[in-house]
Amino acid sequence: MTVPDPIVAEGLVRRFGTIEAVAGVDLVVRPGEIFGFLGPNGAGKSTTVRMLTTLLRPTEGTARVAGFDVVAEADQVRRSIGVALQDAAIDPLMTGRELLRLQAVLHGIDRAQANERGDALLETVGLTGAADRRVGTYSGGMRRRLDLAMSLIHEPQVLFLDEPTTGLDPNSRFALWDEVRKLNRESGTTVFLTTQYMEEADELAGRIAIIDGGKIVAEGSPAQLKAKVGEPTLQVTVGPNHDTLPAEQVLMAFGDPVPAEPGSVAVRLAGGAAQIASVVRALDEAKVEVEGIELHMPSLDDVFQQATGRRLEGAEGAGSADSEVTAVQ
Amino acid sequence: MSSTAVTWGLAKRSLLLIPRMPSTFFPSLIMPIFLTISFAGAFSGIVNLPGFPAETALSWFIPMTTIQGAAFAGVTTGMGMARDFESGFYDRFLASPASRSSLIAGPLVASAARALLPFTLLMVITIVTGTDVPGGLLGILSLAIAAVGVGLVAGAWSVGIALRSKTLEAVPLIQSGMFLGFFLSTAQMPIELLTGWLHAVARVNPMTNILALGRQGYLGDVTWATTWPGLVSLAGMALALTAFAYAGMRKVIP
Amino acid sequence: MSVAVAQYSGLSRRAIINTFRQPRYFIPSLLFPLMFMALSSAAFQRTTDLPGFPATDSFLQFLVSTTIIQGALFSSIAAGSAMATDIESGFFERLIASPVARTSIVAGRVMGSLVFGFLQSWLYFGVAFAFGMRPEGGFFGMLGVATVAAVFSAGVGSIASSFAIRTGSSEAVQGAFPLLFSLMFLSSGFFPRTLMHGWFQDAAGINPLSHMIEGLRYQIIAGFNLGELAVSLAIAAGFFAFGVSMALLALRRRLTST
Repeated sequence: MTVPDPIVAEGLVRRFGTIEAVAGVDLVVRPGEIFGFLGPNGAGKSTTVRMLTTLLRPTEGTARVAGFDVVAEADQVRRSIGVALQDAAIDPLMTGRELLRLQAVLHGIDRAQANERGDALLETVGLTGAADRRVGTYSGGMRRRLDLAMSLIHEPQVLFLDEPTTGLDPNSRFALWDEVRKLNRESGTTVFLTTQYMEEADELAGRIAIIDGGKIVAEGSPAQLKAKVGEPTLQVTVGPNHDTLPAEQVLMAFGDPVPAEPGSVAVRLAGGAAQIASVVRALDEAKVEVEGIELHMPSLDDVFQQATGRRLEGAEGAGSADSEVTAVQ
Repeated sequence: MSSTAVTWGLAKRSLLLIPRMPSTFFPSLIMPIFLTISFAGAFSGIVNLPGFPAETALSWFIPMTTIQGAAFAGVTTGMGMARDFESGFYDRFLASPASRSSLIAGPLVASAARALLPFTLLMVITIVTGTDVPGGLLGILSLAIAAVGVGLVAGAWSVGIALRSKTLEAVPLIQSGMFLGFFLSTAQMPIELLTGWLHAVARVNPMTNILALGRQGYLGDVTWATTWPGLVSLAGMALALTAFAYAGMRKVIP
Repeated sequence: MSVAVAQYSGLSRRAIINTFRQPRYFIPSLLFPLMFMALSSAAFQRTTDLPGFPATDSFLQFLVSTTIIQGALFSSIAAGSAMATDIESGFFERLIASPVARTSIVAGRVMGSLVFGFLQSWLYFGVAFAFGMRPEGGFFGMLGVATVAAVFSAGVGSIASSFAIRTGSSEAVQGAFPLLFSLMFLSSGFFPRTLMHGWFQDAAGINPLSHMIEGLRYQIIAGFNLGELAVSLAIAAGFFAFGVSMALLALRRRLTST
C-alpha cells in the first residue's frame, strides 16, 4: 500500500485585493522528508504555509495535506498536522504545562494521555523545570521550544515550522535544529520548514524550494542546486578609495561578473578554483592594487542570486530604518 | 465527546485568566459596588416621584447594577478573543480539529459564568445594606437568571464582533453596543415615568423585560406575568446573538 | 522671548493637531459624554417635577454644564494618554535632547488642553442647542462656562501629564480615569444636592466638583451671575495650579534622574 505524499500543492494562488502574494506554487513533499521553503521576507512563504494549514483559503489551485484536501477536508487535515507558526504565539499568562494541556484538549486527547505525552515532550525540549512558570517569563528560545512541544502533542504526521529560529540566538538555533533532526529521524515525521536563512535550509532540509515574489524559482536538494551554480565566486577588494575599473578589466577574462560589495569586484570563475593563481598573476601584471581576495564556494545565496538576480540575505537592514523615520514625526 | 472537553477547556482558560490579570479583575470587583453606591446615592430622590415602583433607591438600583455588571463581565470574553487574534494565538484554535461550535460554546459558557461575580457581590450588598427582597428566594433566583442570561447575551455579542474584526479595534464597538443595548431601556427609570423617544425605544428593547424579570423580587412578589416576557426576551436575544457569533465563525477563515 | 513664545505655540499646536490625528483617543472621549447626556436627559426628564428640584426648562438644560465638565475630564485623560505614548515612542526624549525649554514641553500640552476644553464646550452647547436647550444666561453665560471648562481641562490635562511623565505608560494614565470618574459621580453633577440624603449628600457637599458644576449650572438654568461664576473659576484655577505643579514636579524628577 502506498502512503500518499504528505503535501501536494498544485497551482496555489493567493491574492489579497490586487496583490498576488502567492502566484502559482506547485510542490510535492515526500514521506519522512524535511522539506525547506527558502525565501526572503515577503516572498510568500507564510502565506503558503497558512494555506497548507487550513488558515487561509487559496484563491486558486488545490492542496492536499496527509492525503486530505485543505478546503473540503479541512478537519482531517487539522487532525494530521502540527503547526508552529511565526512568533510562537502563546498566552503569557498561562504556564507551559497549561498550554500543553490546552493543545491536547483541542486535539481531543484524554487527560491521562495528555499528561503522559506532555511530560515526555517537556523533557525532550528541556522545559520540565520551567513547565509550571508563566510563559510570559520564558525567553524567546524557550517559547519556541514550547511551541514545538505543543505542535507535537498529538503525534502529527506532518509538522509545519514557520520561521522557527528567526530572532533566536545561535545556541538556541542549533538546539532547535537538533530537536527537529531527532524528531524526523526517530518518528519519521515529515517536516515542512520555512526560513529566510540559507544556513538553516542547508543544514536541515533534504530538499528545498526557493520562493521569490510568490513563485518557486528553484527546487531540489541543496547539493544539487549548488552544483548547478557550479563555479565558485572570486571577490577582489580594491578598497573604497580606488577605482574598480582596472580590477574589473582583469577579471573579465576569467568569468562572468556578479554583484559585489562597494569597493570590490566579483566574478564567477569559469575555470574553477584552480584559476586563482592565474588571477593573482594577472592582477599583479596589471599593477592593480588589491586589498584582499576571497574565494566563495557556491552557496544557496548564489543559487538565489542566479535565479533572481538578487542576494537572499542582507535585505533585512532596510526595514528597521523605515520604522525609525515614522517615529520622528 | 471531545467537543465538551474543548468547550470546558476554553471556558476554564477564560475564567482562569480573570484573577491572573489584575487590571481587569479589580475593576470587575469594584465597578458593581461603586455604581450601586453612586446611582443609589445620587438619584435617591427619584423614589419620591408619584407612581415610582420602589420604596428605596437601593431596591431599584441593585438589580440594575447586577445585570449591568453581568453585561460588562460578559463582553470581556470577546475582548479576550480579540486579543488572542491580535497576538496570533487564535491560530492555534483554528488550525486544530476542535469543532468550530465548541470554539464558540467555550467562551459563551465563560461569559455566563462570569456574570456570577457581580451577582454574588451584589447579594452581599443586599444583605449588608439590609435591603428588603419581598420576592424572597424566587426573587433572588429571577435576578440570577437575568444576570447569567445577560452575561451570555453580552458574551455572544462580543464574540460575534471579535470574530469579524480580529483586532482590538473592535473593543469600543463591543463596549458601546453593550452600553446602548443596556441603557436604552428602563435601566434608570421605570417605563411609566419615561417620556419621548426613550419611552418608545425602551418599549421595544428586550432589555426592558429582562430588567423587569430581574427586579421583580426587589419590588414585590415574583409573578408569572413579569417572568415570562423576561424569559422570552432572554431566550430571543440569546438565540439571535449566538447566531450572530456563529455567522462570524463561519467567515473567520479568509 | 519670542523664541519661547514660538516654542510654546508650536508645541501646543502640535498637541492639538495630534489629538485630532488619533481619533481612537479623542472620539470616544468626545462622544461618550454626549451619549450619556442624551440618555440621562431623556431618562430623568420627569424628575424635574420633583419638589425641591431647581427651576429648570428641562433635564437637558440642567445637565449640559455637567456634560461639558465630564467631556473636559475624559479628553484630558486622552491627552495624558497621548503624552504617555509620546514617551513610549521616544519622542519625548527627543524633545528633551533639543534646545526646547523644559517647561514649554509641559506648557504645550497644557495649552493644548486649554484650547481643546474651550472648543469642546461650544461643540456640546451646539448639540444641546440642536435638542432645544436654551441657556438662561445667554451668550455670556455660555462663555463663562466654556472659560471655566477650559481652565479645568488644563488642570486635569496637567494632572494626566504628570502621570504620563511619571509612569511613561498610557495604560497607567487610563487607569487614573476611573478615579476621576468616581469623583464626578460623588458630586451633584448628575442630580441636585437638595434631593440627596444622608452621607452621600454630605460627601457631595464637600466635593469641589459639586460647587464648580453648580456655579456653571446656574449660568445656564438661572442666568448669568458673576459671583457664582467666580466660585467655579476659583475651583477650576485650583485644579489648574495643582495640576501644573504636579506636572512640573514630575518633569523635574524625570530630568534629574536621567
